[in-house]
Amino acid sequence: MTNMVAINNKEHAGLKVTNDALNLSANQHLVPVVVSELNKLVVHYPVVITKLDDSGQFGLSALLGFEENENLFWQQGQWDGVYIPAQFERLPFYVGTEPSNTNAQANRVLCIDMDNSSVNEQDGSPLFDNMGEPTSYLVEKQQILAQLLDGETQNQRFIAALVQHNLITPFTLDITFENESKTSITGLYTIDEDKLAALSPHAIADLHAQNLLQSIYTLVASNAQIYALIDKKNKANKNADAWFQTTN
Amino acid sequence: MTATTPITHIVVVGGGSAGWLTAGRIAAQHHCATRKNIKVTLVESPNVPIIGVGEGTWPTMRSTLIALGISETTFIKECDATFKQGAKFAKWTTGEQDDFYYHPLMLPQGFSQGNLGPYWQTVAPDLNESFSQAVCVQEAICEAGCAPKSIRHAEFAGTANYAYHLDAGKFTTFLTKHCTENLGVNHVLADVSQVQSADNGDIKALHTQQGVVIEGDLFVDCTGFKSLLLGEHYNVPFVPCDDVLFIDRALAVHVPYENAQSPIASHTISTAQDAGWVWDIGLQSRRGVGHVYSSRHQSKDDAYARLDTYVRQTSALDGIGSLNVKDITIQSGHRQRFWQNNCVAVGLAAGFLEPLEASALVLVELSASMIAEQLPANRAVMDIVAKRFNDTFSYRWARIIDFLKLHYMLSKRDDSAFWRDNRDSQTIPDSLKELLALWQYHPPSDKDFTSNNEVFPAASYQYVLYGMGFTSELGAHQQWVNADFAGQQLMQNRKARAMAVEKLPQHRELINKIHQFGLQAV
Repeated sequence: MTNMVAINNKEHAGLKVTNDALNLSANQHLVPVVVSELNKLVVHYPVVITKLDDSGQFGLSALLGFEENENLFWQQGQWDGVYIPAQFERLPFYVGTEPSNTNAQANRVLCIDMDNSSVNEQDGSPLFDNMGEPTSYLVEKQQILAQLLDGETQNQRFIAALVQHNLITPFTLDITFENESKTSITGLYTIDEDKLAALSPHAIADLHAQNLLQSIYTLVASNAQIYALIDKKNKANKNADAWFQTTN
Repeated sequence: MTATTPITHIVVVGGGSAGWLTAGRIAAQHHCATRKNIKVTLVESPNVPIIGVGEGTWPTMRSTLIALGISETTFIKECDATFKQGAKFAKWTTGEQDDFYYHPLMLPQGFSQGNLGPYWQTVAPDLNESFSQAVCVQEAICEAGCAPKSIRHAEFAGTANYAYHLDAGKFTTFLTKHCTENLGVNHVLADVSQVQSADNGDIKALHTQQGVVIEGDLFVDCTGFKSLLLGEHYNVPFVPCDDVLFIDRALAVHVPYENAQSPIASHTISTAQDAGWVWDIGLQSRRGVGHVYSSRHQSKDDAYARLDTYVRQTSALDGIGSLNVKDITIQSGHRQRFWQNNCVAVGLAAGFLEPLEASALVLVELSASMIAEQLPANRAVMDIVAKRFNDTFSYRWARIIDFLKLHYMLSKRDDSAFWRDNRDSQTIPDSLKELLALWQYHPPSDKDFTSNNEVFPAASYQYVLYGMGFTSELGAHQQWVNADFAGQQLMQNRKARAMAVEKLPQHRELINKIHQFGLQAV
């Protein structure tokens, strides 16, 4: 359950957040990501294109595991990796809206999930200093939320360009792990490298001018992280097997 | 022109769905928009109204749209189109309230590995599931009002096989634009006034009232019932089949939905009456409903009353008094030949049977694809292609007539002369009698249909036969099916059925989402 509350420095002057905000959210095998974090994601994660449940529109996600609720980067309550996707890093903060008196558009407000177990008044990073000013911790979270907000439009531009050039292609991950267990993941899409290579100079120049070309190649490069992810899964399987042997 | 001069100019006469589908199919196949080797001209009268037969299609329409390079999203948005997953036949067998069966568009579970028919027949008394329900997911999907796919499926892909219901008028407008703008079809608006012959009896050119003379190498007659070239010019005889299929009239109306979000049926609903049946096709903005009947068995006033009752029972309307009722005459039958000299007829110009099982548009598609794919290289080989075309389509028309007749002659209804006459042995084609004689002791199976040119697969016969209560007398001395295998297939189908109904969206909901978001190409 979530309980969103708009933050202000009077009511929430003493609020703190511990570093286990991800606890209840981390167990998922896909997490939505934005184009502006591709450069950092590529260090750890295969970034894939998926379809949104409700609209069938394409979106970008980092692949974190090979089955529902499996996040191979979430190990014993710790994130195993130096860069955490913004969608996780921003927790327990959200962007909410409240009606505005002055203009027709609703105002965006910073919200916190009071039901997240990391939110308390004793331990962790405070949101405000003694003067009621936002701490660097809170400013950093605000920046991440702003990045995610901007990312929605950037993602749409990126996807629209891929669709326009017919660059999206479905793929299925068929993997046999070291312990002979098998998995097959469907519903994933990526960039068709043959079509990318065959784009006309004009199309390439156009993508470059829109500042999208680098992101396209970064996404393609991130595919190689699938091997690293398989490796993680093999190690996890070995650990599980070892546990199984010692307890029997 | 010598016998080996290449065929380069194809002239299609008539601008209905048959004309545009054929012109478009040839133009797409031969890249008329980008290469200039073959030219396709469609000449259409600015004055003749389009009949717009057929709002029901077959799954073949998906491959036709793909071949024409049409986006499914655009097609659905512009043609008022919806998804069709088969037909529900109500009151055809006994006429009772609970009498219905489905002819879905998917093969029975495990069809390529084994025949579930005889197994189902054996266990049916205890199973309490109709044949189509026991072996296929689609009856459950249709009864639940679900679409065959979700918004996450790519264009032309889905969980269940499907065809479309469409507005024939909008479809023709849509095809006109697509064929002229994207496929390189040359469009001429003129009335053909005279057919000019060459020495060998071929058509050399068409003269028009507007003064334009159109020469061509191959002429496709899509002039509707008029059959201007094949019928009027070449006098190829019309072979009626009203001795087998009695339907000869239709009364048709457009029925509005109660509101813009009313559920849309994802199947054609065909409800038997005492001298015919009522079709009910759900488009996005309205239902198309019509009563086809035999004028030898029923007066127009009585037929009108049946349609009025049907609409009263299935809508918020107080009958059809406020609706525009179209009165249509149907001549069931086809031309003796379809390709004569350098002229081939497609669509109503070739023939028409009643709308049962939506055979009109599929025959257009099959004809158009055969012409496009086997387009004669020159005049020397044209007669060979023509002979093959004639053999193929004579076979196909005969099989369709058999299959349509099957729906009537299996009925046990005894409430009117129409149904009794339909069972009269004199009215049943020999080819159909032979199949039924075989099936009296052998379960109907894929092995009974051996031609490459079958229109209805064995599965379709099974759905209708078992749906209408037909059983074979299966002797114990032959092993017709492996019971373990069959039991497993039924179990699998039961699981697949539950999952499909749980996961698939409502039909209307999917149509709304296609308008809002569109389907992705991949």
